[in-house]
Amino acid sequence: MAADVYVKPKRLLAPVATTTGKVQWLGIAILTTIAAVAILAPLLSAYGPTDAVCDPFEHPGPGHLLGCDDAGRDLFAQLIYGARVSLFVGLSVAVIATTAAVILSILAGLNGGWTDRLIMRIVDVALSLPFLPLVIVLGVYLGASLTTQILVIALVMWAQPVRELRSQILSVRAMTFVEASKAMGAGGLHIGARHILPEVAPLVVPQFVRIAHSAILVETSLSFLGLGDPLQSSWGAILYHANARTAFLTGSWLWWIVPAGVAVSVTVTALAFIGFGYDASLSPRMRHRKSPIKAPAAQPDPEAALSVRNLAVAFHSELGTTEAVRDVSLDLGRGDLVGLVGESGSGKSTLALAALGLLRVSAEVRQGAVLLDGRDLLRLDQDDIRRLRGHKIALIPQSAMNSLNPVVTIGGQLSEALAHDGKTIDEAAISTWLARVGLEARHARCFSHELSGGMRQRAVIAIAICNTPDVVIADEPTTGLDVLVQEEIMALLLELRQKLNLSILFVTHNLPLIARHADRLEVMYQGEIVDRGTASQLRAAATHAHTRDLFESLPEIAGAKRWQAGIAEGAPLLSLKKVSKGFRSRNSLGFASRTITPVLKDVSLDLHQREKLGLVGGSGSGKSTIARLMMGLLRPDAGEVLFEGDPLGRQAILKAHAKSVHMVFQDPYGSMRNAMSILDIVSEPLCIQGLTHQGDTAERVRTALDAVCLPSDGAFLSRLPIQLSGGQRQRVAFARAIVSAPKVIIADEPTSMLDQSVRMEIMTLMEDLRRQFGTAFLFITHDIVLARHFCDRIIVLSEGRVVEEGPADTVIHTPAHDYTKRLIAAA
Amino acid sequence: MGYYLRIIAQYAVTLLAALTINFFLPRLAPGDPLDAILPPDVIGSMSEAEINEVLADFGLDLPLWQQYWNYLTGVFAADFGTSTTLGMPVWDALIGRLPWTLLLMGCALLVSTLAGVALGMLAARKRGEFADVSIISTVLFVGSLPPFWLAMMLIILFSTTLGWLPSFGAYKLGVPEGSWAWYVAVIERLIMPVMALAVVQGASTLLIARSAMLMTLEQDYILFARARGTSERRVFFGHAFRNALLPLYTNVMLGLGGLIGGALVIETVFSYPGLGSLVVQGVTSRDYNLLQGIFVLATVSVLAANFLTDLFYPLIDPRTRQAR
Repeated sequence: MAADVYVKPKRLLAPVATTTGKVQWLGIAILTTIAAVAILAPLLSAYGPTDAVCDPFEHPGPGHLLGCDDAGRDLFAQLIYGARVSLFVGLSVAVIATTAAVILSILAGLNGGWTDRLIMRIVDVALSLPFLPLVIVLGVYLGASLTTQILVIALVMWAQPVRELRSQILSVRAMTFVEASKAMGAGGLHIGARHILPEVAPLVVPQFVRIAHSAILVETSLSFLGLGDPLQSSWGAILYHANARTAFLTGSWLWWIVPAGVAVSVTVTALAFIGFGYDASLSPRMRHRKSPIKAPAAQPDPEAALSVRNLAVAFHSELGTTEAVRDVSLDLGRGDLVGLVGESGSGKSTLALAALGLLRVSAEVRQGAVLLDGRDLLRLDQDDIRRLRGHKIALIPQSAMNSLNPVVTIGGQLSEALAHDGKTIDEAAISTWLARVGLEARHARCFSHELSGGMRQRAVIAIAICNTPDVVIADEPTTGLDVLVQEEIMALLLELRQKLNLSILFVTHNLPLIARHADRLEVMYQGEIVDRGTASQLRAAATHAHTRDLFESLPEIAGAKRWQAGIAEGAPLLSLKKVSKGFRSRNSLGFASRTITPVLKDVSLDLHQREKLGLVGGSGSGKSTIARLMMGLLRPDAGEVLFEGDPLGRQAILKAHAKSVHMVFQDPYGSMRNAMSILDIVSEPLCIQGLTHQGDTAERVRTALDAVCLPSDGAFLSRLPIQLSGGQRQRVAFARAIVSAPKVIIADEPTSMLDQSVRMEIMTLMEDLRRQFGTAFLFITHDIVLARHFCDRIIVLSEGRVVEEGPADTVIHTPAHDYTKRLIAAA
Repeated sequence: MGYYLRIIAQYAVTLLAALTINFFLPRLAPGDPLDAILPPDVIGSMSEAEINEVLADFGLDLPLWQQYWNYLTGVFAADFGTSTTLGMPVWDALIGRLPWTLLLMGCALLVSTLAGVALGMLAARKRGEFADVSIISTVLFVGSLPPFWLAMMLIILFSTTLGWLPSFGAYKLGVPEGSWAWYVAVIERLIMPVMALAVVQGASTLLIARSAMLMTLEQDYILFARARGTSERRVFFGHAFRNALLPLYTNVMLGLGGLIGGALVIETVFSYPGLGSLVVQGVTSRDYNLLQGIFVLATVSVLAANFLTDLFYPLIDPRTRQAR
C-alpha cells in the first residue's frame, strides 16, 4: 500500500523519481556545466577577456568564435570569463545574505520581545525601499568594484529571507513538541539546538537559491549601467558596451548581444529549476487516465432516497494507488437518519463525496452506481449533477470554520444559495432560514469570523438545506465543537429532519453521539461496510470484530467502573492555591493591549500520591491552562502553584518539579518531532536532566518501551514516529513520560485525537502505569463518562471556575451543579 | 483610528530611514566630503582658507546633527541641492522627467497586472493541463531574462529587423505637442518599453495569481459552494477569485519597488526621457546630488503607493475592518 512507502518529510531536493526531482537535477547539471566552463576558462580560450587581440568589430571566424567588440577584445573569451563574475557574485551574495538572514531571524525568532520587534521594523523599512535605485546610489558612492557590488547587493537582499525564516521559526516554536520539551524542563539552548535548528535548517536552502537567482540578475543590471568593476568582464559589461555602441543597429547584435543575454538566462533558469521544487504549487499534478466506471453487480433500490451499489473508489498518487472504498453498498430510506460510522481512513468521507460527485482529481470512481430519484449520479455529466446538488442532495460539510467564505456575509452566501434560478431573494426569506436554524436576522450581515463555532455550524446548515433537498449528507458536522454544542446541533438536525422531511446520511467517527439518534448504523472499516443494524442490535450482537471493539470502547455511564479505584496517599504532591490567570491579547504592533481576558478564576485543587484526578470541562473552560500552570509553563497572575508544598519559583524546586512531573499531550502527531528517532524522543527527558552520560540510557529507554507494550529492539529504537500509528505514537509519548520515573503524569486529553478503538488501550495503559509505578495522574478530558470510569475524584470546570468536586461516582450520581447535569445528560 | 495612525507612523519611519541613508552615504563614502562637491584638481589648487569657505558655504563645518537637521528641512522644502552635470536644481530636473517615468510605469503596471492575473487564473483553472504547463514554463524562462536585455531584443526585432517601431525617445521632435500625430508618436514609443517591463513584472504577477487561486480553490468553502450547486463560474470568480484577491492585491503593490528599478534600467535602453536616463548621466559623471534625489523620489513614490494599498485593504478584507 502507498502508505508503507516512507518519504522523509523535509529533504533538500525532491526524490529523483518525481518530475520535480528530475527538473531539480537538470538545474544542477546546467549550473555545474556553467561552473566548469567558468573554472576552465583559461583552457577554453587562448585570449584573456581584456586583451585587444583582433580588429575592432571583427566578425566571428575560426580564431574568434564570437568575433570581437569595439576595442578588439575577443567576445567568446569575455563570455566564458563573464561566467566567473556572475557565479562569483551570485554565490557570494547568497552566502553573505543568507548568513545574515539566518543570524537575524534566529535572534528575532528565538528571543521574541523587543529584539524581535526591532529587527522586524528594520526589515519592514528595508523591504519598502526601492532596491535598485538604492543599489545604484550605494554603488556610485562606494566606487565600482566586485567587492562593492557583492556587498551592496547583499545589503538589499537580506531582508526578505529574514521575514520568511523568522515566520518559519515562529511556527516551529509554536509546535507542540517544543512545548513538550519545555514541559520536560528544557532550557532555550536545548530547544534551539535540538528542535528548532534542525527543523529550520532545510528551509534555508530555497532562500539561498532564490537570493543567488536575483543577485545574478541585479549584478547584470548594475554592470549594464556601468557600475560594474571596470577590470572584470561580466555579462552585464558586455551588454553595456554593446548598448553604448548601439550594436543592435548593426548586424553584430547576433554575436555581441544575444550570447551574453542567453548566458544570463540559462544560468538563472538553472537556479529557477533548482528552486522549482520548493514551491509546491508549481509541481505537476499527478494525472491518470480515467477508465469508464464498471457497472454494479447488484441493482440499486429504487425505493430508497439514496441507494449506493458496489461503489469502489481509488486514490492515485506518485507513490501508487490506494483503494479507499471497496465495493460498498448502502441504502438510505426516505426520512431515515443513517449513521455512517468509521475511524480516520476508513473511507467514509470519500464515500460521501463520491455520492455528490465532488471527489478530488486524484480520486477515481472505479465501479458502482449511486441512485437518487431514478438517476445514477456517477454517470451524470457535470452540469446535470450540479443542478441536483443543493436541491435534491445536499452536503453539510466538515469544519464550519472553513466552509464559509470569509469575505462574504452570511446573508450573502445564503441568498446566493437561494437564488439559483435567477430568483430574486428578499430579506424575509433570509431571515426565515436564519430563524429556522436558531440564528437572528441581524446575523445576515455578519462575516463568519464574527460568529461562534456553534453559530457558524448553524449558518452552514441553513445554507446547505435552504433549497429543501431530499437527501442530506452530513460529513462530521459536529466535529471540533464543544460537547454541549454538539448536542444542540444534533437536536437542530433532528428537528429539521422532521419539519422538512429530510433523509440524512450522518458521517461521523463519534459513535456515542450517533448511536443515540440514528435509526440505523453502518460501520465502515478499511473501505468496506463491515456491519449494519440499529445501535442496540450492534451492541448486542455485532458480526465483525471491529464493531465489537468499537462498542466495547464505549464506557456507559451506568454499571461498574472499568478501572479500579486508586488509593490517595499522604500530603498533596501538586496543588493550585486560589490561582487566577488571564491572557492579554496583543495588537498588530505587538504591544499588549490593556484588556485581560480572564481564563481561570480563583481555582484551588490538590493532587495526591497515587491518585487519579479527573479534570472535566468543555472547550474554553480553562482546563489546558491548568495543565500548563501545573507544568510550570505558565505563571499564575494570582495565587500559587505548589509542588510538594513549595511554591514553584526557586531553581531547586523547579528542577525537582521538572524531574517528577511529566505531561502527555493531546496531539500525538505534534508532540514529537518527526525527524527524531524513537530512542532520541524517549530519552529526551534524560538528556535534559543531564543523565545521558551514565551509559544506561538505552537500557532505561527499553524498560520504558516495555512498560508501554511497544517493541524495544534496535530496529524500533531507530524508527521515526512518522512510521507509527496515532495509538503507537501516544504510547511513545507515555514511554517518554515515564522514562525518568516521575511521580505525576498530567495527561491532557490523551485519547481525544485517537481512533475510538484504540482509546481504551491507552486508558488501560495509564492504569497499568499507575499500578506498576505508583504514578499519580491528572486526567484532563471533556468526556465525563470516561473520567468517571478512570478517576477516583472528579473536578468539573466551567468558564474558569471549579463548579463541582467530589468522588467520581458521587459527582455522576448526584450532580449538584447545573453544568455537570448538562454534561451528564449529553453523555 | 489606531489602524491608520499605525500605518502612517510606519511610513514616516521608513521615509526617515531612506532620508537618513541618503544623508550619511556621502559622509561614509571613502574620501573627503569635498570630493563630492568639487573635482580633485580644483581641490588640489585651493588653500586651507578657501576650502573652509567652501565647506561653510555648504554647511559642512556645522556639527553633524545640525547638518542632518538642515538636510531634512531642505528635503521637505524640495531642496535636493544642485546637479553638477545639469547645472540646475535637482528637484527641477526630476520634476521635468517624472511624468514620463510615471507614464511608463503606470502603463506597465496596468498591462502586467491585467495580463498576469488573467493568465494566472487560466493556468490555475487548467492546473496540470497543457495550457498550465506551457504558461508556467514560459514564465520560468521569462522570469530569468534580464529586462534590459529583453528590451534590446525587442529593438532588434521590431526596429532593426521589422522596422515597425521607433526605438528612441518618448516623442517625436518637430511635431507640435498635443497634436494627433504627437500622441501617435508617444504611443509608438511607449509600446516596446512597456512590453519589456510588463513581461518581466507580469511573470511574477502571474505566479502570484496562480498560486493564490490554487490555494483558495483548495479551501473548504469552495467544496461547500460546489456542494450546494453553485455554478462553476461563480465558484471560480465569486468565491475563489474574491479571496485570491487579498494576497494578489498586496503582492502586486509590493512589487512596485521592483518596477521602478526596472523602469530606470529599461529607459536607458530606449533613451527614454524619464528618470532612468538621468541615472546613467548621474552614474557616468558621478553626480551625487542627482542620484540621491532620484533615490528619494523613488522611495517616496513607492511609499505613497504602499500607503494607499494599506489604506484600502480593509475594503477588500472584512477581517481587518475590526482592527481599526
